[in-house]
Amino acid sequence: MTKEFKHIGKATQKFDGKERVSGKAVYGHDLELPGMLYAAILRTRYPCAEILSINTSKAKALEGVECVLTAEDADVHNISYKRDHPILKKGRVNCIRDEIVAVAARSKEIAEEAIRLIEVEYRVKKGVYDPFEALLDTAPIINEFGKGLESFDNKNIAEAFHYEHGDLEAEKARSKVIVKKRYELPRVTHACMATSNITADYSPLTGRLTLWASTQVPFLYLRDMAHALKMAPSNIRVVQPVIGGGFGSKLDMLPFEPICALLAIKTAKPVQLLYSREEEFLASPTRQPMVIDLTTGADEQGKFTFRAVEIIMDNGAYTSWGATTPFVMMQTFSSLYQVPACRFDARAVYTNNPFAGSFRGYGNPQATFALESNIDLMAEALGMDKAEIRLLNANYPGEITGQGLHYNTCGAIPALKAVVEKGRYHAIAHAPKEGRYKRGIGLASMLHVGGGAKIYRSDGCGTTLKLDDYGYLTIITGSNEIGQGSETVLAMIAMEELGIEQDKIKIINTDTDVKPWDVGVHASRTSFVAGNSLLGAISLLKEKLNKKAAELLHIEGPDFVYENGMIRVDAHEIKIDKVVRDIHFMPPHQLCEVSFFYEPSSEFQDKQFKGDVSGSYAFASQAIEVEVDTLTGAVRVLEVHVSQDVGRVLNPLGLQGQIEGGVATGIGYALTEEMIYEDGLLKNPSFHGYKLLTANDMPKVHFYPIETNDGAGPYGAKGASEAPLIPTSAAIANAVANAIGVRFYSLPLTAEKVLFALVQKSVGTPRRCATLSEHAQIEKQKGHGF
Amino acid sequence: MDFEVVTPHTQSELLGAIAANQGKNFRIGAGYTDLINQFKLRPERDLTVINIAQIREDTFRNISKNDRCIELGALVTASDLLGNDTVRKEFPVLCEAASSVASMQIRNTATIGGNICNASPSADMSGALVALQARCRILNVKGERREEPLVSFIRGPRQTSLEKHEILERIIIPQNTSAVIKSGFEKIGARKSMEISIVFLAYHFQLSESGIIEKAGIACGAVAPVIPFADRACAYIVGKRLNELKDDEKEAFAQKVMEYAAPISDIRASAWYRNEVLYNISKALFE
Amino acid sequence: MNNWVEITMKLNGKTVSCRVKPSSLLIDLLRDEFKLKGAKPGCLEGECGACAVIIDGNAINSCMYLAINAEGKEVTTIEGLGSDDNLLDAVQEKMLSHGAVQCGFCSTGVAMSIKAYSEKMKALGIKPTREEIKKTLEGHLCRCTGYIKIIDAAEAVFEEGSEM
Repeated sequence: MTKEFKHIGKATQKFDGKERVSGKAVYGHDLELPGMLYAAILRTRYPCAEILSINTSKAKALEGVECVLTAEDADVHNISYKRDHPILKKGRVNCIRDEIVAVAARSKEIAEEAIRLIEVEYRVKKGVYDPFEALLDTAPIINEFGKGLESFDNKNIAEAFHYEHGDLEAEKARSKVIVKKRYELPRVTHACMATSNITADYSPLTGRLTLWASTQVPFLYLRDMAHALKMAPSNIRVVQPVIGGGFGSKLDMLPFEPICALLAIKTAKPVQLLYSREEEFLASPTRQPMVIDLTTGADEQGKFTFRAVEIIMDNGAYTSWGATTPFVMMQTFSSLYQVPACRFDARAVYTNNPFAGSFRGYGNPQATFALESNIDLMAEALGMDKAEIRLLNANYPGEITGQGLHYNTCGAIPALKAVVEKGRYHAIAHAPKEGRYKRGIGLASMLHVGGGAKIYRSDGCGTTLKLDDYGYLTIITGSNEIGQGSETVLAMIAMEELGIEQDKIKIINTDTDVKPWDVGVHASRTSFVAGNSLLGAISLLKEKLNKKAAELLHIEGPDFVYENGMIRVDAHEIKIDKVVRDIHFMPPHQLCEVSFFYEPSSEFQDKQFKGDVSGSYAFASQAIEVEVDTLTGAVRVLEVHVSQDVGRVLNPLGLQGQIEGGVATGIGYALTEEMIYEDGLLKNPSFHGYKLLTANDMPKVHFYPIETNDGAGPYGAKGASEAPLIPTSAAIANAVANAIGVRFYSLPLTAEKVLFALVQKSVGTPRRCATLSEHAQIEKQKGHGF
Repeated sequence: MDFEVVTPHTQSELLGAIAANQGKNFRIGAGYTDLINQFKLRPERDLTVINIAQIREDTFRNISKNDRCIELGALVTASDLLGNDTVRKEFPVLCEAASSVASMQIRNTATIGGNICNASPSADMSGALVALQARCRILNVKGERREEPLVSFIRGPRQTSLEKHEILERIIIPQNTSAVIKSGFEKIGARKSMEISIVFLAYHFQLSESGIIEKAGIACGAVAPVIPFADRACAYIVGKRLNELKDDEKEAFAQKVMEYAAPISDIRASAWYRNEVLYNISKALFE
Repeated sequence: MNNWVEITMKLNGKTVSCRVKPSSLLIDLLRDEFKLKGAKPGCLEGECGACAVIIDGNAINSCMYLAINAEGKEVTTIEGLGSDDNLLDAVQEKMLSHGAVQCGFCSTGVAMSIKAYSEKMKALGIKPTREEIKKTLEGHLCRCTGYIKIIDAAEAVFEEGSEM
């Protein structure tokens, strides 16, 4: 029998919503400090060039300019986990976002004017913008700090992963069908509504640096910043202002951040640096563009036999966490559906393109697009139903995969069944396709970590609780709120467990000098890890309270209920704040304050990448119905059916918001979003040229949660918020193939791409003035998705 | 972004301001929804903006109607058009074009005069007005007026026939002579909103009671340096019964429209796509 | 140098005067001079709607509006919504109860557009369709919500309004 909850599972408004909807919330852009200076950065004009000279004399002479910083003036270390990224470039520039000079001035206008006055002489070089070209012996060394030759036998390889399980050759031999395809994935970006920002303040008196920084990982950030600036980490305090969107973009510390800190150190004044929207497109992270060569097999019955994967990722000029997305991709290839054998190779290759970072889904949308497309193709080759082949191979509870993931609970089959049935998959898939507007439906599933991911030495989170003399609870959590609703879930847990009403709960989570350690917001981990951490802290708090309550009520070791501000057993009850005061003012004279650190039971994977990396795993399926206008090529998404194993629904309102938001990003990835780079230059650095979906473009989203009640999660919950965008593009591509009989191997499915394919397909239809060769020329120029 | 601003409040102040700035580099600003981005992208030194946003006079502001025509002041906004019953009922092509402009906030400030004088080949409202065979009334600093068909007023990308001493005052649309119309605006973009047209087709047909096309107006956008009025396509279709066109007639009509298309390839779409789609939507107009 | 211009407007119900640089934008005047930080600088190119405010009943993007053209106008920012009795306007309440707010950076602009549109429609006695509501929200980019909950919230505002 499941326990009846008062708050868990009930739609709950955003805990911190009022501040945000009223304009009271202070985002980085809204901060003003006394005497604050404004920073601006001069970036390179060319993606690949030698810097012959930098003349800053006019900028320095400008009234109101307080500091002009070049690489020569900065005694710093390289950043990024590969330490291959100088924060200010000297001698050469490697991609169009490269920072050369920074300025701090008394106004934004003066800072910008100073930037215009700086003269840089370049010797332009021919860049390498195609990772396949970068792999050739004839290619120049792109990143001089790269360790490719020593580590990976090629000077331009930044990172490489190899994984395998099972007997690939034997599985191949017994396969009835083998499908080999190349998939090409575009470069897209987070497009957070708030642009990147930082405000830095330094006191030469104390040697302390305070950073108001929009990071998702404040404790790792602090460590990275300390390394970059050659400071003691503990002399750095990170305060997160309200963050206007993260989605993974704020995992890496970017050069502008230590640059701003340095300006503050040099001037001993607060300095603020705000990105313009154009700068945000040019110089914030992106999703990895990549080429995936995928070979998959299935036997006569349709059981999957093997997968062989080779991936080339465009690393860009420097390395970011984005280079580690194969961690996640290999899970999908090794463990989404049952697979006897898998071989996976991924290489991140330096180019003169901008570097990619982490982005909601962390490689998984790319991997899932390839895999779920191949599954459709195998079903077609076998003459099998596309739902049936997926159900036949679906993951199941108790499964231990080839990679060593333990599926203690698994909602893969119920999720698939839900979308097949609710989405009327078979009826729509087999309906005749006639007329101008052709409808189709596609399926795709996904696997993602649901209980954090142990990719750092600790995947834990600390919580400190303070219950004050008046019965108000302060939750000091290591976790971060970036809009996703973690504060709300934590408050709900506290309300549920302690019977304290919401307006008596405060959450402190923005200050590294105050809050306990946490690895950060990523890997769909916050509700899971911070929730478990809070539950741990609450049980410590209850030990104290129970003891005193029992004493005050003269009852022996009872099972107390916490409700409506009371601690109660049967007819006996006492106000919670009265108990707190008695602990404080009477023996044992203690405060009701406790601290707890939760470390998930997950394992750090071995060198072969085997191990149970997460506390639990999330499964989801989507069935998406589309309509293709065969006269324009426009694809319209009509209905999205999402079913997801979320363990348990904690806050249905917040969860639904995560689902819908994820799906929207997934549709954008599938249909409209693409950063168009030509020879290292971004052609669409604006919201006008980069097509986010609008309110008018959103289809209906139906959500069917699967509650598997996983023992590892708080109340059985699993991480949920990356999953909804992971299978979306695959389901859409499969739906388009169903509608028009044409399959696409690259994203986005722009109207032009679709119409071109339709025209190619229908040879014999009279065509007119148009020349296909011209179109082909343009496509060629665009290259293969890079 | 830095410029001087002169803000006239009346027509005479406006003409005075234009006269006084003949020797200077000036631009006329009304809704600013495009102009501010232009200023940011291409900052001009020693620029004066003659800010006409605060002119209240009817001649620049109102939508009026008589037996022969409906007139729009140059400062009429896209939202004003959407809120006007006559435009909604009698000129759906203009209403749909106004509705397809960017967003509500932009429509609330973007003016019809700005849309025209910006002279973009993809200007939606201009396209509808070309299809409606609208004329421009132009005022000069001496207070003299001249009229010119919109289709010739727009000379090329960002070029109009407007002299430095002139300003666009009003736009004049001939009244429908029939109560039966088929009128609309087909816009092709990468998403449903916030788009500059990849291609558009503006059409306004007036029919007899029995469904014969008596008058036709067709304009297509983003397929040529200007917004062409497809008069040969119009001539071809006039006299035919709208609902009884045969496939080969629809194709012939589409071919006539294509005679006006000479698109370029840009970041939004290739010339191939623009041609293909213009043909397809032209042909599909009667389906 | 430029000649700064004195303007007078009604800002959130109060008449205020100030001197502005002729080329300055309304968003900068509101944020930098009046310290009304609720209008957000999302793109400063008229594309995202985060900076929307209401001028004489119409929602506009304050990043595409010359400050001097606020002369004589009634300007309402997010800080001007709500009253002493109800600190949040019904629009804001509906946005919260429908889960329309996540990171919140777009929310204030969204609220202003819904507010302006709902007032206008109520005055006309019109209850718009869901499609019409979506259309009025097309100029507000949001990366968090997928818009559905924003549209739901706006629809709910009109449900209330249908009583009048």
